[in-house]
Amino acid sequence: MVGAISFRRISMMAAGIAALVAWPFVFSTPFDLRMYGIAGIFAIMVLGYQFIFGHAGALALSQGAFFGLGAYVTGLMAVNWGAEFAITFPMSIVLAVALAALIALPVLRLSSHYFALATLGIGQVIALIAIEWVSLTGGANGLAGVPLPSIFGFTVARGWPLLILIWGFVAIGALLSWQIMRGFYGKACHVMREDEVVARSLGIDIDRMRFTMLLLSGAYGGAAGALYAHAIRIASPEALEFKTMLACLTMVVVGGRTRIGGAILGAILIVHLPEWFRFFDRAYLIFNSAILIALLAVAPEGIAGVIARLLPRPPSSHAKVIESVRGEEGTLPERRGLLLPSVTPILEVRNIVKTFGGVRALDDISIKLRRGAITAVIGPNGSGKTTLVNCITGVDTPDSGRILLADVDITGIRAHDVSSRGIARTFQNLRLIDDLSILDNVAVARFRAEHVTLRQALGSSIQDKAQARAYAHAQHLLHRLGVEDVDRLCGSLPYGVKRRVEIARALALDPMVILLDEPAAGLNESEQNDLAGRLQDIAADGIALLIIDHNMPFLQSLATYMICIDHGRLIAEGRPREIYQNPAVLEAYLGPRSAPLAAE
Amino acid sequence: MLQLTINTLALGAAYALVAMGFVLILNATNAVNFAHGALVMLGSYIAFTIGSLLPVVGLLLLPLLLIAAAIVGLLLYFIAYLPLKDKPVTSVFISTISAGVIFENAVLLIYGPEPRITPPVIGTSAFKIGDTVISEQSLAVIAAAAVLIVGQQLLFTRTRLGKQLRAAAQDPDIAAACGMNVGLMVALTFAIAAALAAAAGMFLSATYYASPTDGANYTMKAYIAVTIGGWGSIPGAVIGALLVALFEVVIPSLPALFPALMQAVPHAADLFTMTASTIALFIAFLIVLLFRPQGLFGETIKRRA
Amino acid sequence: MRASLASISLLAALCGAANAQTVKLPIIVPITGPIALEGTSQRNGALLAIAHGAQSLKVEGEVLDTAGAPEGGANALERSAGNKSVVAAVAPMFGTQVLPMIPLANEYKVPLITTAGTGAITEKGSRYVYRFFPSDIVTKLAQAKYVTEVMGKKRAAILYNATAYGQSGHQHLTDYLKAQGAEVVYADAIELSTKDMTPVLAKAKAANPDIILLQMHTASMALLLKQLAQANLGIPVVANTMLTMPSTAGLLEPSELKGICAETSAWIGKGVSPELDKFVDDYGAKFGGVPDFFALQQYDGVMMVLKAVNSGATTADAVQKYLADNEYKGVAMSYRSDGKGNMAHSAAIVCFDGTTRSPKLVKRYDAIASAK
Repeated sequence: MVGAISFRRISMMAAGIAALVAWPFVFSTPFDLRMYGIAGIFAIMVLGYQFIFGHAGALALSQGAFFGLGAYVTGLMAVNWGAEFAITFPMSIVLAVALAALIALPVLRLSSHYFALATLGIGQVIALIAIEWVSLTGGANGLAGVPLPSIFGFTVARGWPLLILIWGFVAIGALLSWQIMRGFYGKACHVMREDEVVARSLGIDIDRMRFTMLLLSGAYGGAAGALYAHAIRIASPEALEFKTMLACLTMVVVGGRTRIGGAILGAILIVHLPEWFRFFDRAYLIFNSAILIALLAVAPEGIAGVIARLLPRPPSSHAKVIESVRGEEGTLPERRGLLLPSVTPILEVRNIVKTFGGVRALDDISIKLRRGAITAVIGPNGSGKTTLVNCITGVDTPDSGRILLADVDITGIRAHDVSSRGIARTFQNLRLIDDLSILDNVAVARFRAEHVTLRQALGSSIQDKAQARAYAHAQHLLHRLGVEDVDRLCGSLPYGVKRRVEIARALALDPMVILLDEPAAGLNESEQNDLAGRLQDIAADGIALLIIDHNMPFLQSLATYMICIDHGRLIAEGRPREIYQNPAVLEAYLGPRSAPLAAE
Repeated sequence: MLQLTINTLALGAAYALVAMGFVLILNATNAVNFAHGALVMLGSYIAFTIGSLLPVVGLLLLPLLLIAAAIVGLLLYFIAYLPLKDKPVTSVFISTISAGVIFENAVLLIYGPEPRITPPVIGTSAFKIGDTVISEQSLAVIAAAAVLIVGQQLLFTRTRLGKQLRAAAQDPDIAAACGMNVGLMVALTFAIAAALAAAAGMFLSATYYASPTDGANYTMKAYIAVTIGGWGSIPGAVIGALLVALFEVVIPSLPALFPALMQAVPHAADLFTMTASTIALFIAFLIVLLFRPQGLFGETIKRRA
Repeated sequence: MRASLASISLLAALCGAANAQTVKLPIIVPITGPIALEGTSQRNGALLAIAHGAQSLKVEGEVLDTAGAPEGGANALERSAGNKSVVAAVAPMFGTQVLPMIPLANEYKVPLITTAGTGAITEKGSRYVYRFFPSDIVTKLAQAKYVTEVMGKKRAAILYNATAYGQSGHQHLTDYLKAQGAEVVYADAIELSTKDMTPVLAKAKAANPDIILLQMHTASMALLLKQLAQANLGIPVVANTMLTMPSTAGLLEPSELKGICAETSAWIGKGVSPELDKFVDDYGAKFGGVPDFFALQQYDGVMMVLKAVNSGATTADAVQKYLADNEYKGVAMSYRSDGKGNMAHSAAIVCFDGTTRSPKLVKRYDAIASAK
């Protein structure tokens, strides 16, 4: 939490840093210093890997390729052209980033294991090329004779000077990582990794975020590789092999996927483990691997995660944070009460058709939503209601037809853009991020509004004003919906509260339209009445609501207009009372030839 | 040409067994078994061990081998999958990699690093048709693999056990709700997959020797075969495996088959080297991933709504 | 400064000669990973030499595994070299691991005793690399000379593995063959993991060579020769020294080896000299099996170091001087530094006659490099 780190945590961090600094004094033989240096190099690689694997949640197997490329670039330039560190180091980073960009474009849109496979395949191809292209890379022999780093004529000697250089970069990398991920941007990342669909529905451009994460991991990988070439004085194909990637993966799993301390801890452990286990003679790899499996079962969030869990959660002082931005623009939701409900439709769906496989999920559907109106959509299961919502929000693209928002054609626009233009939704199965607090869950929706980007993250101060404003805005909305005690984690909340949090989140987008997918499900009668009242409030603000539900009593008092869909087709529309009597509707729900529903 | 066809088929048949086992575990657990190549390697060493005690040909050893391998498969299930089945999938990824390392080093410790000759599948004789050398080994491998593939297919489509295995793989929650012991089904899948891998191991090492470090290569080939053929599809795995063998045997032979090619294409010698063909295989595999990620026979990937 | 150092070391040497002092000789070789086979041979040879050559010394030969990573050797050297009693270190035969060790050896002033064949390691201008194995420059020249001068061949096909060893050999062979007036009609790199050699054999056949030269590793080479025998192309083969390793020849039938020759450093067999007999017998007793040239030449290297120590060179510096200046008559051959640390300058050609897996000596090339 911004500015609210407990004393225990600070002392823990200080102890950790002190231990890191003290280590080379305690273990100070040249061999120990050498190993510590290599550990530092791997720590940089792992810190980078955490961006794409830990924060973005994508299993990329490309980190070895970036690492190896960095080593080769430095090796080539230093050995062949005698270039200095001030040139080779940035070039290693730049080219690794270029590689990341090159592979990101085709590969990022693949999901999970395909993405992993593709990055693995690319890594293998690069390794093979390095071995084949003897004239450039020295082939399987590699490029020997890589000098120690030479910075403006001053050679960084082996031992302490090199160690300080390496760990200096570790510190820079760690700080950078912390700065990028600690604030709003980091929260958005968290949401993206937990639930892609939710992230998109909150206006977060997932593709762009993942792209950025991959580039960052490439940059760190290239930097680590450059230092590696200087440290072991050779650039060889082994750096590009899967073994390196495997070591990186092991370190991040053992240490922790998202914590900076975890990256460093993992690197130090895995680099030293073979040494510490040397007494097992030839069996040490067996013991290494066995311990790794045990750790996976017992501590999947890594050792850093276990330590973090043992520490008490810091008490958050949002009040102070929010106070610091009082009165600033964006901290209060706009009151649209002045906009009178009007007759002109704000959202228009015209003749959309959507086919899946051979089935027509939506068959020539047209609906109009007006400001301030509450439109209910009913229909038996599988009739296409959720598909309709998905088409409107851009999750699916209709095969034909148009969708217009405030007279602007938004058909086929990607989901995150649709959200940012003013269409919010809630989900049938309540998609909140369980390990984030209520406040965080709602505040993330302000991502687009606060123009949060990587650049913003880099430049944000300790207080992260954007996040503070978002918190203020979110708290206001939550208060309005009757949700207090906003620091609780969402995982343990009762249903009714979760539902209201989700609505608050939708409101935080400043939407013109809100689509609610079965909002009354799981609520008891008094909660339903409460919800109905709140939704009417929201509509009175001039927002158009579309509610999918089965709960007739709930809808009857709430909805001003009702639409019935069956087999993808609109079979009836009108005032709720009329719909209940409509024989076509009854037939759709109950089958042919049934008695009319008793109206309440 | 005939030579190439037979060699490709023999190699492809062995790879098909490897890929099939890989897919079985994939379907049942949604996890990539990185120790699969090590299972192949273990199969060849088990064959070696049994063969040094019972000096008979490979085919006669096969039943014993399958049983021993099934036990190893269960072992893998217990150490690398069961403790992690509720954790994120990447954990199983890493645990199977670790298991592979354990297997490789255990074999290295016990048997040493020298390559080993394992019992021939039937015999070592060969006969010539013109310029083509056909070893009875190759024919035996193709035949035996075909029998195993058909056998596996029958098991899965015609028997009750097979249907239960498929059900547990397709939808474990529903299967459990129907009263099936899903854990047992998954364990059995591991056992069957390991048996298939071991058979492949015996076939491969009969011609190509056995060494402790063979595993990684076989895992990669299985991965590629399954991706090209279709993630999750068993016939796809077989086709994918044949394609991998094609890249390994036929593609680099093209300049010898069609000498005109050497003149027509500049730098043809460099384009068809063994390494270049491996790179070509990877590029083909990447192209499939990018443009048809479901492979040749897999189901279309649906976007999660 | 130098004079006082010299007198101190002389004093120390005298003291050392008086007491049975401890001398450290770390054995830094790969005993796991892809080159475990060759590394284990080195280890065995070194340990046997310590058993034979220590005499009154107490020699600690700690074995440090370098596994597969390039920094494995350098890490191990860093670990052990700081100790004052280290007089020399056995280095891996894997060039990529030796190269990063050289700057360290220079710094710590510890001589490296290796059997690596890669040419580059003695090209770095270091006084601390001693190669007890004829380098590629020697062995490939012997291989090339034999096929051109003795066998009279003109059209060569070169098959090699895509490793440092293979690529280096290919490079040297190509240069030498051209210098001898022969043509390389076909060459291809084979991955270590390749199983089916049909494409390579088909393309080799299509190029119509009159000799096939190999630069391959154990398993890969055995596979190739097996399939070559089946294909019955009728083209003679001269392979590299790895074929003479018992573990390689053991994978093939004597009939599959018939007529195939190989270059090697020395011929290992009984009846040549009592020292070689003793070596073979003791090796079999201590480690089981038959020794290969890696073991033998490593043995010779370590024996030379121990001879140096026993004659008074009890520091690393003194050992290095001894290695640089003296000639040593080892079991395999005579060793003398050419100024760059190449100690072995002889090669031999051996051929298999089809009846056994042990080849017979056919031709020796002594001091071949100087004849260039």
